[in-house]
Amino acid sequence: MNSLVSGLSNGPMLRAMAALIVLVNGCFPALWILATAFKSEVELTAKPITYWPTNPSWDNFVTAFRDQPLPVYLFNSVVVALGSMLLSLFLSALAAYAIARLNLRRRGLILACIVAVSMFPLVTLMVPLFEIMRSLSLLNSYWALILPYTVLNLPICTLVLVSFFQEIPRDLENAAMIDGCTRLGALWRVVVPLSAPGLFTAGILAFVNAWDEFLLALSFNSATAWRTLPVGIQMYQGEFSFPWPTISAALVIAMVPVVIVILIFQERVVGGLTSGGIKG
Amino acid sequence: MARLAAPSLARGMGSCIRSARWTLAAWALMMSCSLMAQANTKLKVLVGGQHRPEVIRELLGEYSQLNPGVVATLDVGGATSELLQRYLNTVLSARDNSIDVFLIDIVRPAQFAAAKWAEPLDSHLGAGREARLAQLLPRYREANTINGKLQSLPAFADAMFLYYRTDLLDKHGLAPPATWPELAATARRVLDAEKDPNLQGLSFQGRAIEGAVCTFLLPYWSLGGDIVKDGKFSFDRPKAAAGLAMWQRMVADGISKPNVAEVGTDDTRKEFQAGRVLFGVVWGYAWNLFQTAKDSKVSGKVGVIRLPSMENGEPVSCMGGWNWAVSAYSRHKAEAAKLAIWLSSPEVSKKLALRASLQPVYADVFRDPEVIKAVPWFADALAVVETARPRPVTPMYRPVSDALRINLNAVLAGARTPDQALNEIEHRIARALRP
Amino acid sequence: MPQPTNRSLVDRLSDPSERTLAIWLLAPAFTFITLIVVYPVLVLAWNSLQDARLLTGQPARFSGLENYVFLINDAQFWRAAKNTLIIVAVTVPGALVVGLGLAMLANTAMRWKGPVRLALLLPWAMPLAFVGLIFAWFFHSDYGIVNDVLKRLGLAPVIWSASASLTLAAVCLATIWKTSSFMALILLAGLQTIPRSLYEAAEVDGASKWTQFTQITLPLLVPSMLVALIFRTLTAIQSFDIPYSMPGPGEDTQTLAMYIHMNAVDYLDLGYSSALAVVMFGISMLTTWVYMRHIRREGGT
Repeated sequence: MNSLVSGLSNGPMLRAMAALIVLVNGCFPALWILATAFKSEVELTAKPITYWPTNPSWDNFVTAFRDQPLPVYLFNSVVVALGSMLLSLFLSALAAYAIARLNLRRRGLILACIVAVSMFPLVTLMVPLFEIMRSLSLLNSYWALILPYTVLNLPICTLVLVSFFQEIPRDLENAAMIDGCTRLGALWRVVVPLSAPGLFTAGILAFVNAWDEFLLALSFNSATAWRTLPVGIQMYQGEFSFPWPTISAALVIAMVPVVIVILIFQERVVGGLTSGGIKG
Repeated sequence: MARLAAPSLARGMGSCIRSARWTLAAWALMMSCSLMAQANTKLKVLVGGQHRPEVIRELLGEYSQLNPGVVATLDVGGATSELLQRYLNTVLSARDNSIDVFLIDIVRPAQFAAAKWAEPLDSHLGAGREARLAQLLPRYREANTINGKLQSLPAFADAMFLYYRTDLLDKHGLAPPATWPELAATARRVLDAEKDPNLQGLSFQGRAIEGAVCTFLLPYWSLGGDIVKDGKFSFDRPKAAAGLAMWQRMVADGISKPNVAEVGTDDTRKEFQAGRVLFGVVWGYAWNLFQTAKDSKVSGKVGVIRLPSMENGEPVSCMGGWNWAVSAYSRHKAEAAKLAIWLSSPEVSKKLALRASLQPVYADVFRDPEVIKAVPWFADALAVVETARPRPVTPMYRPVSDALRINLNAVLAGARTPDQALNEIEHRIARALRP
Repeated sequence: MPQPTNRSLVDRLSDPSERTLAIWLLAPAFTFITLIVVYPVLVLAWNSLQDARLLTGQPARFSGLENYVFLINDAQFWRAAKNTLIIVAVTVPGALVVGLGLAMLANTAMRWKGPVRLALLLPWAMPLAFVGLIFAWFFHSDYGIVNDVLKRLGLAPVIWSASASLTLAAVCLATIWKTSSFMALILLAGLQTIPRSLYEAAEVDGASKWTQFTQITLPLLVPSMLVALIFRTLTAIQSFDIPYSMPGPGEDTQTLAMYIHMNAVDYLDLGYSSALAVVMFGISMLTTWVYMRHIRREGGT
């Protein structure tokens, strides 16, 4: 045990192995689906199964687009995720400023109330929200999802923004206010631009959360024109069969936007997750 | 002065009025022209992915040509009965008017009647009602009429058939079986003689899909059992136990494969098509594939008969099919009803039979020479379809279906004893059907 | 009382108008919360006391505690509760342990920060529903890679979806895979804040690596772990996406959330599904309370 633990921290060979383990663990399922997406249905049912596609072809991607309106699902996912992200950022920026800057007596409690929202089981909210959306005729619409997602993302966005706002020196704001700005003016002209990285991070977290959401999307927006990606992918399931190659191709297409986002914004995402997570 | 002015004034006014009348007429004509141009009624039709949407689309195009002013577009929902129903659940429970005509599974009219989601079609059929209903196969007429009101009109029929390998039976000089025990005996003889480890005697649906409801009900019905009688739950436990025991014996005797709990409808079809099954219990869609699929190893060697009965029981089959219904929230009920009536007419039924091999709901169409030429087995199919029984007719069909298929699957998978399964079935259905 | 004309900064901050500003700033967020969370919860509680079944076409009728009485005797509910409990009991510690392992591995491999971080972020970015589908494919009895590996190792292939316990095991594995990466990220950040000097001092004192691990690393990681654990537990109680995409035999692997969803959207039994949801809400609150008490005893974050 001792030597294992000590060995883990020395030796370039072992460092490389450690990296390899982490890499394989994280990337393997995605790579497997990528490989499957290029295989043919016949090849899939061959025994023993093949790991590498023997005749890689784009057929499955064509079928994926043909069988379900993937562009529609993509568009819906983007609209819903972006919409709820923007709304969430706006609401949480205001709230975070109040908590971080204003000398409120019960700011801890207020922050706790907002964070408590994430403790509500989503499925608990789904049932009454279904009824409310139903009676407001909002089922199968963008608002049916944007409104709940906004609230679901409030806790994490507020947490991240509170910690970012707190790091901005008060002097800058005070200087602005002495120059004649109101509090709100100081917020928009000084604090927000300086905390752009924080907004960015919170925004990405909110976006990815909304993109991933399945339960509400499945329950509220089951009409074809309004489905989001996670729900749309379920639709490939046939009356009698489960076309795995086509589904794999669709999964690949569905994952591309998010993978690009995290590739570009790695640092911010990790920073946001850890600051929000640790500071609780 | 006024007296002199009056006639000229009157004349002036007269010509004014006359030209006004012409202007008014011209204006009215223009308005009505433009209104007519905009008067295209747009109807939205919803079908599932498994309903040959491309064929339905063609038909809708033909309807638009026959009825200028009406444009019908197609929306395609999920490809399973449950997914499609869930979509309709969210749309109709919200009283959404975005869909006018939709296909509902044969088991749904009762639910739609209770929830008042479908527009009754009796008044829309008007004088032709009796004539049209008389043409339909009686069982389908019953299935669509709930409490005397016509909730929907049949689109196409279906039933479960027993497919068998004519070559294998002929080789051993055996006749197709009439009862389940006979089937087991016949299969045993063929299996022993062929000594092929990949050959299954009987393939049926054990997976917890809708087809498993039929698997449960076939022997139960055969013995005379019923689930819903006069709207109340009526469960004959010994008969249900006998049915379960029959399926378990098939597995125990090696006639069916041990992991039959995994077998879904298309699995049976695929394995039969690959030549690995002697007797298969499947819906009607399989025939076409057996005969015409490129990789089919059984082309020309398939026979189709009605399903066997239990010893001393009635021969029964499970009724399937889909129906056209008009949304109660549609803004164009009259037009939508007209479309639904056309879609379920004998002419369209014949087109569906010819273009998509979907079974008609009219005996005449079954016997139509053109249809028989295109789909020869329909001649035998009619006898089966006529005697197929509908699954429990109740608005709470979904929970009833879940109770039956989950427990059938559990028994076949060995996860539950027949006693436990029957207890749960009774408990769940009683709960679902509570007043 | 006449106000001083030149007010100091401190006076400005505690000015009543500041409080008004605070209200204006917090109002939007709290309005949304009231509309989307507080009001629905009240509606939920009310609906749970009704017999409201949309499929019967009858109007809702006040039924008092009928739904709750049935719930207590509902075998399906207890089965779903049991499945959910198993998932929680396995995936929460599981994600922690695996996450800790991944974090330590990643810590030693910080030379390749980029790829390592990507490998930890990818599972997090994947929707749970996709993860469920992917792992269902892995565990497919005929064409899945898990059985293929078993066969190559000379072991018999297993029909995963035919047994409830095997399916649950697969579900737990998929869940742990996805959530351990998130844990790892948090723990990694925590690991990196531990000053090397502590380890060096311990080395000098002759402490073994294992002792260093248990006496330095773990205690300092506890704050980050606790918060992550609360959220992981609450999410595990609500498991829906992955068990939904990886169905087992019949309904034997149904979780509480799946049961609620089935009653609400498929059976349209609003009354009973509300009662179930209230029960789940209670379980979540209880869990949170237990954690909070534990944190307060431990001295807090």
